[in-house]
Amino acid sequence: MSTLLAATTGDVTKAGKAIGLALGVGLGALGAGVGIGNIFGSMIQSVARQPELRGELQGIQWLGFALTEAVVFYGLLGSILAYVLV
Amino acid sequence: MTKWKVAPLSVIVGAVWLLSVPAPAFARGTFDPTTEFEQHDWIPIHLGPLNLSITKAVAYLLIGTALTILLGLFLMRSRLALLPDRRQTIGEAIYEVTQVQIAEQGLPGKAIGRWFPYVASLALFIFTVNLIGFLPLPLTGETWHGIPVWGIYAATSSLSVTLALALLTFVFTHFEGIRWNGPVRYFKSWIPEAPKPLLALIVPLEILGQFMRLISLSVRLFANMLAGHILILTFIGLMFILQSLALLPVILFASAFYIFEVGIVVGIQAFIFAALSAIYIGSAIEPAH
Repeated sequence: MSTLLAATTGDVTKAGKAIGLALGVGLGALGAGVGIGNIFGSMIQSVARQPELRGELQGIQWLGFALTEAVVFYGLLGSILAYVLV
Repeated sequence: MTKWKVAPLSVIVGAVWLLSVPAPAFARGTFDPTTEFEQHDWIPIHLGPLNLSITKAVAYLLIGTALTILLGLFLMRSRLALLPDRRQTIGEAIYEVTQVQIAEQGLPGKAIGRWFPYVASLALFIFTVNLIGFLPLPLTGETWHGIPVWGIYAATSSLSVTLALALLTFVFTHFEGIRWNGPVRYFKSWIPEAPKPLLALIVPLEILGQFMRLISLSVRLFANMLAGHILILTFIGLMFILQSLALLPVILFASAFYIFEVGIVVGIQAFIFAALSAIYIGSAIEPAH
């Protein structure tokens, strides 16, 4: 423990903040990546089954894409707020 | 050379190229992309505690508004012909997307006549403001030997702008909900059918959800545009921070992100904002139960 403490000279809070920022953005991106992959995967499957529904599905697909993608930005915003304010 | 030999070769070339970047070149320069998003009062207008100064975002909004009006006049006000020219075709395509994909998705039939203009102009306006955010304009407010510096900035990457737009939708949603259903029936529609003890938990969540819509609507657009701009600026800025020509290929990444932003994000975000506005207003006019 003492060696660990000795290694952490300097501003440790900054490092903690940076780790928090990276974790927030990274985990947000992880979730959104899974979600977006899911949406496009389902889209491909549905179009393969019923190609005539493509036009109707496209609107829903982009809506779902944007709703899911926004998750990254909530994570990003929260992380930046934590980074700046804490 | 078969395609199987290309991959290891490109890894070696990449590694050699990375090693050729001089190590002491790192951590030089002071370029900070976030300074691009600071607002300075260009023409100060102060009304008591209100700060209504003309800033960079306001200038971009004014340009965007003028362009949207011109675009609408140019594309939609042409003389209609049976054999449409290119101008009319584009106008009809925009009209069709806003009507079929946006308005009819969310709005009930009886409200389309009243609210289609709002969602359609919302989509066109956000699209225009987003798009001029990716054109270099001499509006950075900085000068270099007397010449204005050109830069990219989108008014929608400022939270105040998107929050104002989301607030419009928020106000219209509840105004329309009360107007069509009466205040009692409208606010009763917020209470879902659930066992009594659960209601104490669900109703506050439902009310919170109404305000969360405001936040999610504005933050989605704002953070998307901000992240896109910071990404492009950082990639290009990397070359100037590290002051090394070996980083020239970084322009390729910046261009890729630029194409992604202009081609997909700009249109999608305008579409989403308008479509969600239509859905929110529609769901207030015709509550589910």
